[in-house]
Amino acid sequence: MYFLTDEERKQLLKGFLPRSRQMEIAEELRGWNWHQPPLAPVYDIRMALYEVANSYCKTNRDLYLRKIDRIKSKPNSAMIRGKVFHDILVRVLVRAKRLIYEKGVGNFQEILEQLNTPLDLSFLTEYQSQLKEDEFIELKKKAATVAAFENARVAARIQEILVKQPYIAEDSLAALAIPVVVEQKLDGTFFGLSANLSADAYTFSEPMVLDLKFGEQKKFHRLTTTGYALVMEAIYEFPINIGCLVYAEFKGDRLVVKKDIHIIDDELRQWFIEERDEKMRMIYEEIDPGLGQCYDYCPYILQCRG
Amino acid sequence: MFKLRVTDIKQYMYCPRIVYFTYVCPVQKKVTRKMQYGQEAHLELDRLEKRRTFKRYNFKEGERKFHASLYSPRLGLEGKLDMHIVAGGEIFPVEFKHSSQGPSLNHKYQLIAYAMLLEDTYNKPVRYGFIYVDSEKAIPVEVTPNARVYVKETLEKIRLLVSKELMPNKAGEKGKCVDCEYRNFCADVR
Repeated sequence: MYFLTDEERKQLLKGFLPRSRQMEIAEELRGWNWHQPPLAPVYDIRMALYEVANSYCKTNRDLYLRKIDRIKSKPNSAMIRGKVFHDILVRVLVRAKRLIYEKGVGNFQEILEQLNTPLDLSFLTEYQSQLKEDEFIELKKKAATVAAFENARVAARIQEILVKQPYIAEDSLAALAIPVVVEQKLDGTFFGLSANLSADAYTFSEPMVLDLKFGEQKKFHRLTTTGYALVMEAIYEFPINIGCLVYAEFKGDRLVVKKDIHIIDDELRQWFIEERDEKMRMIYEEIDPGLGQCYDYCPYILQCRG
Repeated sequence: MFKLRVTDIKQYMYCPRIVYFTYVCPVQKKVTRKMQYGQEAHLELDRLEKRRTFKRYNFKEGERKFHASLYSPRLGLEGKLDMHIVAGGEIFPVEFKHSSQGPSLNHKYQLIAYAMLLEDTYNKPVRYGFIYVDSEKAIPVEVTPNARVYVKETLEKIRLLVSKELMPNKAGEKGKCVDCEYRNFCADVR
């Protein structure tokens, strides 16, 4: 899912990378300047990154209900689906890395063989009670499709590297075949964010934050990659200029993957900080933002509309 | 639509209270030493720029146009641009700034706003502009779609501030207040 196609790689190398290096990002908006305005948080509260970045509720009343009224919502089916698919991707990629280290390059046939065996999806039963029967059957089917797709991609990548590098060892094979760290843990306290943030994926060849989305494309999704980029700049003190949103959707039985590669520019950085400041103020001052235009699958629809 | 000036964008980004003191509660502002210096340096740069080649912009040739008055009814925005260059069928806005550091964010969006005005004037897209810092070097600034949106959103915010007569928060950085021409009127400056 995170691997780029030839066209995407070309766009990255000839388009986004040179442009992002040429573009001067304002120094005050680089994550390493977290200790001074405008990046320094005004309030001493902690928020999850998704709470800053998500704007499914136009007035952010969902956040108010969660933080001030302490109402816990039940995840809707879209949220469960997203969680499951994310989890599958992590399991596939981690299993592949583990296989490389365990079996070694000499036993690559075994690695490929095991990658061909379907992923154990028994963990899905924990979600059974939260979904309708037909939803659960559908989820299982789609989960198997995602796992099979990703397994095949990883196997192809391993083959690709092996035919090119006759003297390669395990560590290098793992890094080249699967050049991402999944669920990268990050401390976001510099920005008033949680100390236990988790970025979906991070590539270290060219510092790029990846975020996986299952669902409709939204403009504010780019705030997620922006937030992680700021946090990483604060922690590691090197620039992160590029983000990539990976959109996966199903057209019937087929999985369709699109990517939104973008430069984490001044505007996105300012937008993230403005969102954080506005939302933090709302929480700190306990300001009820009122009702907005509700969406059907909002987990707080009952609290807002009765 | 309430007509705004490009300078308003620059000022709003520096500190939104400047816009408040310009439109909502107009006051006689003090001319600071920094402003005087800026005006003098601008005149000097105008004089020098007329004699220079286009090398520092990386063009072989082109035409310089100074102090063009620009107006876009679509954006409800007007402004007087320091200079723009017409080269190779493209247009490039240039803003002169006097600062010991690189261009700041408010200067960047001022330039983007000028680029948008030039687009409406020439009916052509503008890809790049330049910020000339202390007559040393011309720093290229890309006019991205996101930057254009940001300028439009800033115009909306300014219009909202003026129409609702909202007293905005002062700038986050205290250092900005030191040289501010509105310092005397901004009661809660510490």
